[in-house]
Formats: sequence, structure tokens, C-alpha cells
Amino acid sequence: MSFYDTWSAVLIATIAGFTLVFTALVATKLLAPYARERAKGVSYECGMLPIGRNWSQIHVRYYLLAILFLIFDVETVFIFPWAVTLGADVPLFVFYEMLVFIGVLVLGLGYAWKRGVLEWK
Amino acid sequence: MSDLDIVGPQLAVLVAAAAVLLVDALIPQHRRIVPFVALAGLALSAAWTLSWVARDDYQTAFEGTLSLDKFSVFFYFLFAGITATVVLASIDWVNRAGRGQGEYYALVLTSCAGLMFLSASRDLITIYVALELSSIPQYILAGWGKDNRSSEAGLKYLLLGAVASSILLYGMALLYGLTGTTMLDGIADAIAADGESHRSLLVLASVLLIAGFGFKMAVVPFQMWVPDVYQGAPTPVAAYLSVGSKAAAFAVVLRIFFEALGEGFLSDDWSTVFAVLAAVSMTVGNVMAVVQTDIKRMLGYSSIAQAGNFMVGLAAISVSGEEFTLGASSVLVFLAAYAFTNLGAFIAVIAISQRIGSDQIKDYAGMWKRSPVLALALAFCLVSLTGIPPTAGFWAKMYIFNAGIRADLAWLVIIGVLNSVISGYYYLSVARQMFLGDAEGADRVRVSPSIGLSLGVATLGVLVFGILPTPLISAAKDAAEIFSRQ
Repeated sequence: MSFYDTWSAVLIATIAGFTLVFTALVATKLLAPYARERAKGVSYECGMLPIGRNWSQIHVRYYLLAILFLIFDVETVFIFPWAVTLGADVPLFVFYEMLVFIGVLVLGLGYAWKRGVLEWK
Repeated sequence: MSDLDIVGPQLAVLVAAAAVLLVDALIPQHRRIVPFVALAGLALSAAWTLSWVARDDYQTAFEGTLSLDKFSVFFYFLFAGITATVVLASIDWVNRAGRGQGEYYALVLTSCAGLMFLSASRDLITIYVALELSSIPQYILAGWGKDNRSSEAGLKYLLLGAVASSILLYGMALLYGLTGTTMLDGIADAIAADGESHRSLLVLASVLLIAGFGFKMAVVPFQMWVPDVYQGAPTPVAAYLSVGSKAAAFAVVLRIFFEALGEGFLSDDWSTVFAVLAAVSMTVGNVMAVVQTDIKRMLGYSSIAQAGNFMVGLAAISVSGEEFTLGASSVLVFLAAYAFTNLGAFIAVIAISQRIGSDQIKDYAGMWKRSPVLALALAFCLVSLTGIPPTAGFWAKMYIFNAGIRADLAWLVIIGVLNSVISGYYYLSVARQMFLGDAEGADRVRVSPSIGLSLGVATLGVLVFGILPTPLISAAKDAAEIFSRQ
């Protein structure tokens, strides 16, 4: 099979995708009724009027916490499939591999702790 | 467990990176030992590589994605040496910068592990992951300084690097689409089988790969970032970028192009691209370097011109028969000689700039009277960059131009020689300033032990390989043997 035989399906899918989205956009513009009003632009059409701007500064310590959260997040993602497959027919080194992995994450956590990332100051 | 054994050199470096972080965080009163922990990790890595050489049992690991052969061993030693020298040269600067000591060395080591993986990988995905592993720490390191210029350098390097990565990925995706595999040997087989039928697409893939790696190799027209980043980044980091990431980029280009895309009909096309890029890089780099007044910018443009020299070896693939690997081995010789020479020049600049607080070439006037050792070392490295005996740079240039002549690229070699003359002008005018100019200040420029040691190692390398080039050349020949098609 040549390059074009193998990949022409991808090309067709790409073209079809673009066409679909484009058609949908154009059709909405042509067919849908459209009314511009100020009240439609506010966050809650019935309720309190919003005050201030929606751009607010977030302190950098949230960012650090988010990174720390990632440690546990990634740990979970890997531990669940590992725990499901861990059984009698899996060699023993798989168990120790996970210990090494958790050990690396604990090192990272210990480093962050020591650097004072967990203190809210 | 033999897979782990094969990545031992990288593991040693990565463990050292973790150890450096922990030492810095847990026992801050002993912070002074941090760089030595890093050096110990690099020494362990080199020892591990040496044990592979002693065992003489080369094999692949992880389903063939990583290959331990003489080629990767050559680069393991080169990267361990480069990184150790840069760590030594960084100690003063990092101590003065005052913050994040552990993090600095950890990033350097992580990047070094990435470079090692890059030189050993034989699979497009592994190559990409290794490239990012080495690049991301470099982006952070380029912005490590406190001034705006360093931040600008880091950001510029990051953004342009991201663009280059995406171009590279397009090339890799196209190559995968054409051949149905990401393994380099599989790609070579697929191209040998029926590559001729979609030659133009293969050429397009090659061009995209050249553009992606051209950014890391710093060749024209992908060189815009080089002078700004070298000027803005901390000088030890600039030294690391100029030799480490450049050498790794050439290593992986050699692997991809000689191993996967080396088929005759294809190499005819891309060797022409390399020849043209080489000529343009040499000329643009050298002409731009002549007008520079800042020594770090000048070294930046000079490294662009040197990348043009390396590319002569890549273009010389058309040599056939027993000498097929001549071009590849000449690139390796040049890379090693250039690593010593450029590191020496950068370390001398670190030492001088730290004392006189300026990177302007005019402030180097009379350096001979203020510090004879530094002036001599810098002048010696500049002579080697020009390619004048008895330096390693001379043999490197002669070897690579010889490969060019054998490959019927006489026009390219003539351009190269003319460019050497231009480069002699600006390299030696720095030396002239140092020896004949009048000193601005009378105070002596002192050298700290760590800088002195790293400078000594680098210049000694330039001198030893300048007098006895045979060990280096035979090591490079052995390493390039893996590309042999007999």
C-alpha cells in the first residue's frame, strides 16, 4: 500500500471535519434569529449585577499548591492500574517498582516541605 | 535488569540531581558541598560508561529504543566532561547569585541526562522526549539571572524552542506516516524497500527535521536566538548551551540522517541542503561576528559559524565504500575539539568579566598585564577556534575539510577556508587588544581555584589534542563505525 492509500482516509476525515464545522457556523449565522441587547451580556440575566472585573490576581502560592497536588494526582493515576493488575501472575519486581516510584514522589514532597511551600505565609 | 544497567550513566546523573536538591534543602549548613555532589554523580556516570567500554558488550535496551554503542559511549564521555567543566565554572557565579543553588545544579544535571539519552536513542519518540528533557532545563537556566536581559533570553529561547519542536514533530509525524514505524532501523528498511515512490515527501520530512534540529544546532537561518540568548543568559549557561546542546543536536542528526535516511537517492538531496546551510552559516556567522563589540555576542556568532563548519561533515555523506563514515567521524572530532576550545574561551570570559564587570571587547585591553594566565588561555582558545596549529581546532578543521574534499565538495571547502581567514580577523583582534592594548585599570585579575581548574582542563585538552590528535581521531572513527554500510 502506498502512502496515499494508507492516509487518504485521514485527509478525507480532516476535510469532512472542517466542512462540518464551517457549514454549522454559516448555517447558524443565516438561520438563527439574533437579537443584541445589553441585558444579554451580563453574567446572570436575572439576579445580582456583577461588580468589578473578572480578572483578579491569584497569589503565586496557589500555583505552588497546584504543583504539589499534581504529585498526588499522578500518583493516583499510576497506582490504580497497578493495584488492579497486581496479582499472583505478576512478577515481584512490579511491586518494588511502585515502591521506587512512590519513593521518588516522597522525595519531591519532602523537598517541597523543607523549602517551606506548605507554610501559608 | 540489564535495561537498567544500560541506562546506568543517565541514572547516575539523575540520582545526583535528586541528591543535589536534597542536600541543599535538608542540610543547608553544608551547602558548599552541593557542586561536589554533582561532580561525584558525573564521575560515577563516566565510570559506568568506562565499565561498558571494558566489558565491550554493546547492546540495545528497552525494545531497541536506546542503543549502547561506541557512538553513544563517545558522547556519554563528552557530555559528562562538558557538564563537569560547566559545573566547576559555575560555582563562583552561583555563589554570588545566592539563591537556588541546589536547583541550578539539579537543572544542569537533568539537562545532561537528557543529552545522554538523546545521543543513545534510536527511536523518534524517545528522541523527542530526550530532546525536551534536555531543553526544558536549558530554558529555565537561560532565564536564571536576575536582570531583565536574562529573563528576555529565557523567554526568547523558550518560545523559539517551542516553535522548533513543533516543526520537528511535523517532520517526525510525516516520517512515521511514510514508513509506518518510529524506529530508525525500521525507517531505513522501509525506505530501502519502496522509498523511491514517495521521494518528494521524504525530502519534505528531511527538511522539516533539519529545520527542527537546526534550531538546536544554531545554524542559519534558525540562528536568531543565539546572540541574544548567549548575551543575556548567565555566562556558564551560555557556555553549556554553546557546546552541550549543540553537540547533542549533531549527534542525533547524525543518527537520524546517516542511519534512517542514509539511502542513496535520499542522501543526495539532503546532503545538498546541508552543504548550502553550511556555506550560509559560516559566512553569515563570521561576517556578523566581525562587527560585534560584546564578547559574548561575538562568541555567539562565532558558534553559528562553527556550526557551519560541522555541517561540512554532514554534507560529506556522499563518500562511498570504506570511507563512508568519514564525514560522521570528522563531525565527532570537530565536536570534541570545539567542546574543549569553546568551553575554555567561555570560562576565560567568565573569569575576566566577573572581575572587570564588563563584556565589552574594548575593556579587555591590556589584559596581558592584569592577568597573563587568563590572557594566554583565552588567546590560545581563540587561536584554536581559528584553526591554527598546534591546537585541537587545527586538526578538527583539517579533518573535516578533508572529508569535504573526498566528497567532491571542493567549493564548500574553499568557502570554509576563506571563512577561516575572516574568523581569524575577529578572533585575533581580541588577542591583539589583550596583548597590545593599554590596560584600563592597574589591578590584577585573580582567578578562583574552581575556575582555574576548569580552565586548565579545557585548555589542556586543546593543547594535548593539538599535539597528539591520534587518540581522539581513532575514538571518533570507532564511534562512527556504527553507520558503516558494508
